[in-house]
Amino acid sequence: MFSAEEVQVLLLSLRVAFCCVLLSLLPAVLLGWLLARREFPLKIALDGLCHLPLVLPPVVTGYLLLLLFGRRGLFGPVLAVFDLQLAFDWKGAVLASAVVGFPLMLRSVRLGIESVDPRLERVARTLGAGPVRTFLTVTLRLAAPGLLVGSLLSFARSLGEFGATITFAANIAGQTRTIPSAIYTYLNQPDGESRVVGLIVISVALSLLALVASEWSARRLRST
Amino acid sequence: MLRLRAQRQLGPFALDIDIECRHAVTAIYGPSGAGKTSLLNVVAGLVQPDAGEISLDGQTLFSSAQHIDLPPEHRRIGYVFQDDLLFPHLSTKENLCYGRNLLPAAARRFALDQIVDLLEIGPLLKRRPGHLSGGERQRVALGRALLTSPRLLLMDEPLTSLDQGLKNRIIPYLCHVRDALQIPILYVSHSVAEILELTSQVVVLDRGQVIAHGDFFTIAAHPQVLPLVEEHGFENVLDVEIAATDAERGVCEVLCHGQQLKIPYCDQPVGSRLFIGIRADDIVLARQRPTGLSVRNALQGTISAIADVGGKQLIYVDVGRRLAAKTTSEAIEEMQLGIGDPIYCLVKTHSIRLGPQLNRPEKR
Repeated sequence: MFSAEEVQVLLLSLRVAFCCVLLSLLPAVLLGWLLARREFPLKIALDGLCHLPLVLPPVVTGYLLLLLFGRRGLFGPVLAVFDLQLAFDWKGAVLASAVVGFPLMLRSVRLGIESVDPRLERVARTLGAGPVRTFLTVTLRLAAPGLLVGSLLSFARSLGEFGATITFAANIAGQTRTIPSAIYTYLNQPDGESRVVGLIVISVALSLLALVASEWSARRLRST
Repeated sequence: MLRLRAQRQLGPFALDIDIECRHAVTAIYGPSGAGKTSLLNVVAGLVQPDAGEISLDGQTLFSSAQHIDLPPEHRRIGYVFQDDLLFPHLSTKENLCYGRNLLPAAARRFALDQIVDLLEIGPLLKRRPGHLSGGERQRVALGRALLTSPRLLLMDEPLTSLDQGLKNRIIPYLCHVRDALQIPILYVSHSVAEILELTSQVVVLDRGQVIAHGDFFTIAAHPQVLPLVEEHGFENVLDVEIAATDAERGVCEVLCHGQQLKIPYCDQPVGSRLFIGIRADDIVLARQRPTGLSVRNALQGTISAIADVGGKQLIYVDVGRRLAAKTTSEAIEEMQLGIGDPIYCLVKTHSIRLGPQLNRPEKR
């Protein structure tokens, strides 16, 4: 049904999406906890910064990433030390989609943590659990549905990411060509329309699946 | 023994406490917003005092001078909150074992079975908190705290969210804990009746300050305490005037709103005024003034209200002052009690608790 090239595109997209979730989860948990539980100066500024990719045109996000993490970017020399190339590489696609999807992830994680009664954390402390154990066994455990929703949204957003990815990681067949950039490329070719059907069906199916799964976990979040 | 000296600003007023608790149960009593919960939080280490010193059995838990502030998880103090706050994602058994599993085996004073038996929660072990009743949840919360083998147990109005019937069923468990497990308890409540079931040692708090500390019947007549006691539902407090004393027979005759009453002997001159307490449980109701009974006291009055609280019936009788008597709905039906009916309240002399001389100024 699918050509070898389409399978490659699909596998790359899934790999980028998985890595994107893995990359954003830890920062989202830390920032989500900070925003949900702590008061500090410039909290609004941090909140705004985290949500910036939601309103910024993805192409701009991609260009800013180039300025920061491109080979001649601000952190280029640092990345060179570790022999790590992000721009025009699939790892760059991960970073681009992680940044674009981060507000969605953060929002869900934060809501998940806010839904946990802080008094339960105090109970855990009086029962002998230290702050870290309390966070892991009570806060994070009860916020799990929020983490799941956030991961699914970030996963789905990553599968659809186009603007930032194509700007920062480009559209190199076999390396950074994900489903959206493949569809875009094929549509620009004379016989393209017949080739995109399979990818579009896959896109719709994956997105629907992720939405249904996140709706289901959101319902569980509300009911607990 | 708990030694507590702490100051902390609490919005409109400052918590300023200096007490020593050396009794099995010390009750913290006061109106809502008096700082009772803050006091417990300070002891538990959940709230840091601005200044002061807290020590338990000789170990310093907090000292602003020595910069000591033991975190709550190292204080070995059990805390039962007003709401049970069971972990919703854990079964009853997992809730019970949460703290216990964090203790080294050598530090565990009680076996799981011992606490489960004491609180009769065996059939609940596999259930999640969502499937427990209010009374069951509060018992599990108590068990969870006990299983951490605390050196001190803090209880913050643990019965407030329960109806009267459940309260009556939980209190015996608290007495068990007090007597069988030998854990000192700091018990916050705004119900004198509830406190007196457990202890007479009371610390009265108002606006963050300790206004009285000691035996309830000694401090209840304190001019600042009496209004609080009356206001917060300790129904059966009577002020009486001594009419005659009989040291030989061990009784005093007193006048209570124009009626005669015999109370245990107290060494007070005739004409002095006293404060006595009668528990709602200790009052027997009768249609006629009985004959052939050993009970000496029969206060005449009229029924002013009947309240159903969780299966138990409270009958309020106006004897010049409102008395609350506990009875069963069966008795009410059989006696066909109704509001406005004349009734006698029978009280055994020796179930009357004596207070001190009443220092309240005479009405002008």
